[in-house]
Amino acid sequence: MSNRVDEKIFEEALDWININNKIALVTVIKTWGSSPRQVGSKMIVNEKGDFSGSISGGCVESAVVGECIDLLKKDKPSKKLDFKVSNQTAWDIGLACGGEISVYLEQIKK
Amino acid sequence: MNIEILKTIIDNKKNNSEFAIITNLMTGNISIFKKELPLSKNLENYSSEINDFFRNKKTGIIENSELFIETFRKPTKVIVVGAVHISQYLIDYIKNLNFEINIIDPRGYFASKKRFPEVNVINKWPDEAFKEIDTNESTALIALTHDPKIDDPALQYALKKKFYYIGALGSKRTHENRCARLKKAGFSDEQINLIHGPIGIKIGGKSAPEIALSIVSQLVLITNNR
Repeated sequence: MSNRVDEKIFEEALDWININNKIALVTVIKTWGSSPRQVGSKMIVNEKGDFSGSISGGCVESAVVGECIDLLKKDKPSKKLDFKVSNQTAWDIGLACGGEISVYLEQIKK
Repeated sequence: MNIEILKTIIDNKKNNSEFAIITNLMTGNISIFKKELPLSKNLENYSSEINDFFRNKKTGIIENSELFIETFRKPTKVIVVGAVHISQYLIDYIKNLNFEINIIDPRGYFASKKRFPEVNVINKWPDEAFKEIDTNESTALIALTHDPKIDDPALQYALKKKFYYIGALGSKRTHENRCARLKKAGFSDEQINLIHGPIGIKIGGKSAPEIALSIVSQLVLITNNR
């Protein structure tokens, strides 16, 4: 049983928009190997880089927050990102557990 | 995504409807899918895949497409018999999980809206109360009054309706007596053994919040293993 329905991220997104935040919604769309959060996990990010929710349990959040700020500043509608663990990037961005994930970023338009 | 879609998603969640969000990862187009609604033209080609994801409550990318489908399932209905102290903690734990709670208690001083502001409280005897609730094999029952007058009719109803989870509070002794009463009422050992009694998994606690936690843990375990 998946309990994603109860995570209040959509409600929180609406609250953020109502207090005049431009926000990006991030969703995990695919995972390979072991990754801490399941497909469908979500996070919201505003232009300042404040975020709520989680997509990996801490591994790729900082990189994704940066991408979201960029998306919002450039006023782009959406973007797909893949994170794979390679030797060079494993320490910077990547999943400590050796998994790979794809995430989808989308701006929520007022 | 625009804010109108976001509001639709929130409304659908609030109404406990079963729905899916379909996102085209190339174009960014989003549609809300429901069983009773027709598919939009651009999704018609994937109708069988979409229905398969929906039926199996799957979330993911449809193979060889750019469509991401996210399925939202209805919360599981849980009937709690007894608007007691443990129930208050139980509701505290359960509200972050995918369950919809209904409380039955014929005792008005227990079943007050003030004590349980967030859930549906039915201040009636179980036989009357069950007339107001749709139940099926995907319903759970948690009997907490350990008063046979209140718990027993609810347990009998749940056994007859084949609820997937039935638990009853009380010591081993209380439970033995309960089993004897049910046997006398015509239930088989096989049926009676389906009742989790004493309710909950063993976590070694005795306080009300600990008992509530042990009950919720068992409910989640059984629900996930279905």
